[in-house]
Formats: sequence, C-alpha cells, structure tokens
Amino acid sequence: MAEQPADLTEQDKRRFQENALPLLDSLYGAALRMTRNPADAEDLVQETMLRAYRAFRSFEPGTNLKAWLFRILTNAYINTYRKRQREPRKVSSDEVEEFDLYQALKDHDPQWDETPENIVLDALVDSDIIEAIDELPEQFRMAVILSDIEGFSYAEMADIMGVPMGTVMSRLHRGRKALQERLWDKARERGIVKGPREGSVRR
Amino acid sequence: MSEDHPSLGHDCKEVLERAQVFLDGELLEESERLEIQEHLERCGPCYKRYGLEREVKVLIARLRGAQPCPRELRSRIQELIDRS
Repeated sequence: MAEQPADLTEQDKRRFQENALPLLDSLYGAALRMTRNPADAEDLVQETMLRAYRAFRSFEPGTNLKAWLFRILTNAYINTYRKRQREPRKVSSDEVEEFDLYQALKDHDPQWDETPENIVLDALVDSDIIEAIDELPEQFRMAVILSDIEGFSYAEMADIMGVPMGTVMSRLHRGRKALQERLWDKARERGIVKGPREGSVRR
Repeated sequence: MSEDHPSLGHDCKEVLERAQVFLDGELLEESERLEIQEHLERCGPCYKRYGLEREVKVLIARLRGAQPCPRELRSRIQELIDRS
C-alpha cells in the first residue's frame, strides 16, 4: 500500500515522521466529525497520511503543514467517503431563517442574562455538542469543524475547502446559527429548558 | 435600541456579523473595530448576542483533542511509512 515514493529521500521521510505524525490527533478528530463514524474516520486518516506521504515532495517546507494535510483530508473525504454517507435532514439554507439563541433564551427566561452563568450552555455535555455538529449539513459542518474546533483562519479554510473567503464566512455564519438551534434542541430534549418547539424561534 | 425591543435592526445584523469576524481573530480595520465596539457599548441586545457567540465558540472548542487518534491506527500508519 505504501510503496516507496521514488523521489522521497530518507531525510524527507524523517521530516514527514517528525512533523506530520504529531498532527494525527487533529486529523482523526476532524475525520471523525466529518464521517461521523470511527471505522470510516480510521480509513480516511490512513488514506490521507499515505496520500500526503506520497505527495510530500510537493509540500513546500516552511509553509503550513497542518493546512496542507487538512486539504488532503478534505479532498479525500469529499471524493471517497461522502458518497457512502447518509446526510442528515437536509436544511435548504436559503429558505430557513436564522435561529436567534438570544431570543430563545429570553423567551425561556426573561431574566436569563442577569446571572453570570448560562444555565443552558453550561448544562450541555460533550456528547450534546457532538450530536449537534453531526446533524449539521455537510458544508456547515466542515466550516464549524475547521474554524471552531481546529482554529483555522478564514484564508486557510478557503484554501482547504477550495472556495472563496466570502463563501467560508457565509457557511460559518449560517453553520453557527444552525448549530445553536440544534444545541437549543438538545437542551430541550434533555429537559434543561422547556423552550418553544424546534424551529419556532426566528428573527 | 432598548432592552425591551430586542429584535434586530439592519445595523445590528451587520455589526454582529462583523463582530463574529473579530471574534474569530481575523484582522479588521481599526475604524471598523471601533465602530463595532461603539455599537456593542450602546446596544444591550447586541452586546448579549456577542457574548453568546463567544460562549458557544468556547463550548465547541472543548472538542479540540477530545477524541485522539486510536493507538492502533497510529502504529499502523507509522509502520506503513517505516516500511516504505
């Protein structure tokens, strides 16, 4: 599988091992949120690392290796794994109005903002957040993963996703609104809030 | 805009979108940054919405590194590269 890439030197190999392998945790975490299942995430990460290794000559030393690896990961996901995935409920992002978490909290408890704690957000656990992200339409999910989990800049995300920066910003903005709506749903499902039914809080 | 009317004006919507850019650590023009800051200081609901955006961002960031690469996968990849 990992046939010796003809033009890689021992030094390239060592450089790859020293610099790329420490990024495996980030790559796996992102792969897991993209594919939403551990078996596909493992395959995706392995494929990404082998592709990256074979193409390592084309990586320009001194530039951003993490972004370079994430671009390979994203392309591999889109070309191979996405076809197998069942997308969750489709949100046609154009016709849906934006969720307003502030208004939802206000309707739930007009005094919510008078205490320093946020009883809703503070009560959510990691599995709620994971489920909420996993339910996002793919393009929104990618934007949220790359920005809010991995901390990439807009320019890096534009490069990784192969779209203009304006598109990155719009996906991120709408993705976060959609995510907040799902987080609110999680809070409701778990009885943290007795808020209005899903989708009824709009601005 | 007062606390009693928390709906969003055109200004507010735009300011909040730009504030998100600021929150993401992207560079803004000094004048734009000041404009956002001034708006947030005089518009309570926008200030609260901005705070919420920040809280949610921190909440999501909790997942960073939460599910590390399984050890078997790491060794498998290491081995594939070693052998090549």
